[in-house]
Amino acid sequence: MPGAGPRPVARLPLRRPEQGRWVGGVATGLAAHLGLRVGLVRIAFVLLAPLGGVGVALYGFLWLTVPAGDPAVVAVDERPGALARLARRQQGPDAPLRRWPVTDIAAGLALVLGALALIAGRNGALDLRWVVPVLLVVAGLVLAWSQLDAAQRDRLRARAGGRTPVPVLRLVGGLVVAGVGVLLLVGQYTGRGIDAGTLAQSVVAALAVLAGVGLALAPWWLRLVRELGDERAARARESERADIAAHLHDSVLQTLALIRARADDPAEVARMARAQERELREWLYDDRPAPGTSVTAALRAIVAEVEDSRSGPGGDPVAIDTVAVGDRVPDADTEALLQATREALVNAVVHGRPPVSLYLEVGQDAVEVFVRDHGDGFDVDAVGPDRFGVRESIMGRVQRRGGSASVTCRPGRGTEVHLRVPTRTDDAGAAGGAPAGGER
Amino acid sequence: MSQASTSGGDVVDVVLVDDHHLFRTGVRASLDAGVRVVGEADSVETAVQAVHALRPPVVLLDVHLPGGDGGGGAEVIRACTDLQGTTRFLALSVSDASEDVVAVIRAGARGYVTKAIDGAALSDAVRRVAGGDAVFSPRLAGFVLDAFGAAAGDVATGDDELDRLSAREREVMRLIARGYTYREVAAELFISVKTVETHVSAVLRKLQLSNRNELTRWAAARRLL
Repeated sequence: MPGAGPRPVARLPLRRPEQGRWVGGVATGLAAHLGLRVGLVRIAFVLLAPLGGVGVALYGFLWLTVPAGDPAVVAVDERPGALARLARRQQGPDAPLRRWPVTDIAAGLALVLGALALIAGRNGALDLRWVVPVLLVVAGLVLAWSQLDAAQRDRLRARAGGRTPVPVLRLVGGLVVAGVGVLLLVGQYTGRGIDAGTLAQSVVAALAVLAGVGLALAPWWLRLVRELGDERAARARESERADIAAHLHDSVLQTLALIRARADDPAEVARMARAQERELREWLYDDRPAPGTSVTAALRAIVAEVEDSRSGPGGDPVAIDTVAVGDRVPDADTEALLQATREALVNAVVHGRPPVSLYLEVGQDAVEVFVRDHGDGFDVDAVGPDRFGVRESIMGRVQRRGGSASVTCRPGRGTEVHLRVPTRTDDAGAAGGAPAGGER
Repeated sequence: MSQASTSGGDVVDVVLVDDHHLFRTGVRASLDAGVRVVGEADSVETAVQAVHALRPPVVLLDVHLPGGDGGGGAEVIRACTDLQGTTRFLALSVSDASEDVVAVIRAGARGYVTKAIDGAALSDAVRRVAGGDAVFSPRLAGFVLDAFGAAAGDVATGDDELDRLSAREREVMRLIARGYTYREVAAELFISVKTVETHVSAVLRKLQLSNRNELTRWAAARRLL
């Protein structure tokens, strides 16, 4: 079967999450992107720091260029609209943010450094005429570049009520401060202000100013490009979602019409209502995996089919309470397991007593299914060979795949069918079935 | 587990928070005589106000609520942290998505039930929450097993470990996920119902305090790509 086994691990988009960050969220985001442990990434940055400041420079570069955001949220947002849930996602922090007040610390450090520089200048240990212009240039650039970090916040604020001129202020302010710094530097370089008037010096000064302007403008341009792309993608997703909403309303409308027509048949009405409820819930609140990539999705389809087509002993529709843990790409083994599960479900619905529970667990070395109902059960050994159902379609199917199947009946506690199929060991274990297995 | 319903026979007051009037009416009618609805609210702001004014032992809280900063039920719980210990929250949800349910549990809810629950079971859940216990549905147990990577055989060794389940807690969660009631879990594992409740409360605490959630959320998102 093509595409069997776990899929190649996809990468989360590179973002700097708010949650769990120590400084700028670079290490956390990088770890999520590469699927590494956060600790390892942090250690790497620290180890790289003394090597000519590579670690610090890399961190700074990523801090400036990687947009802030939650990788999981962004990944989900970027999914095709047809597979994403329609309901709005809850906002607000999941857990209290434990982060350092980086901006405050940085501002404090800058002030302390400035004070030290002033003292050093007084003592003659440092040439003060160089310190101030350099500080001015750095401050101007930081001001201009800080808009990248704040882009997300600004967008939220803009959505809340009108455009704020903050980015413009940042840019202009940064430009002015950086420009003044550059001019001072050039003045310093030429000796006594810009009065020397030699051509070469003017060119140098102009180039320096241009470089400063370019550096200050770069983030603004970057941000523009990024926002444009985002907006286009969002618009495309929006129209896709509108199509889905139309389809959903159509299906609800039809079901309601059917329910009205069959109002005299309570069992049928309950069944239709339940089927519609299931479909709506799925579209509204679940992110659906791409077809053919999920055992869990296949299981849910089987549950839906059994719920829709089978009735309990009294003719009433029976709900199947389904819980699935872990997931993997279907293969021939899980296919057999799901077919056996279907037979067990039909058996539980038709011959057992509700409530019927279904539990699927995709583990590292096996996929297990439990089907439980509250009926009196049956004795497998007492079932004659003519009742092909249980023996062949449930137990045989699984056993042929090297799995095991058992039926437990306990008076007063219902019947439970346990199916287990080992997963193939040649495909490096069910990576999809072990969430966060590599991130302890 | 339904036996706990007769504890003392006193009536439990609840505040009912849901933005659908029809649903509130339905719940009010379906609750049994042991539970009394003393107030209702239909948005984040009114809910916070009502809970602070009435200080009920239990709040039935919809996960999806309009108003506030868009945080829904979780936001209400966060706004009521000053009532911790006196007021407990039981989340009600139409959504079966783990992101919705886990968010409200991590905010501090003592349990979660789906809106399809019948009146007797809901009344029972309210009494259990009022008594300080956690209410775990099979689905929530499934979310827990997923979030803690329990299927990967990652088992805690110490009691104070927050990021992993102990072997026993995992067994309890698996049985609940398979549709066993607390009583049936107790019988299956040869322990008392009280011990089952202790395990369940410990798991709830881990789910609320563990940092593991972020990592597993990313792992789950990666699986969807």
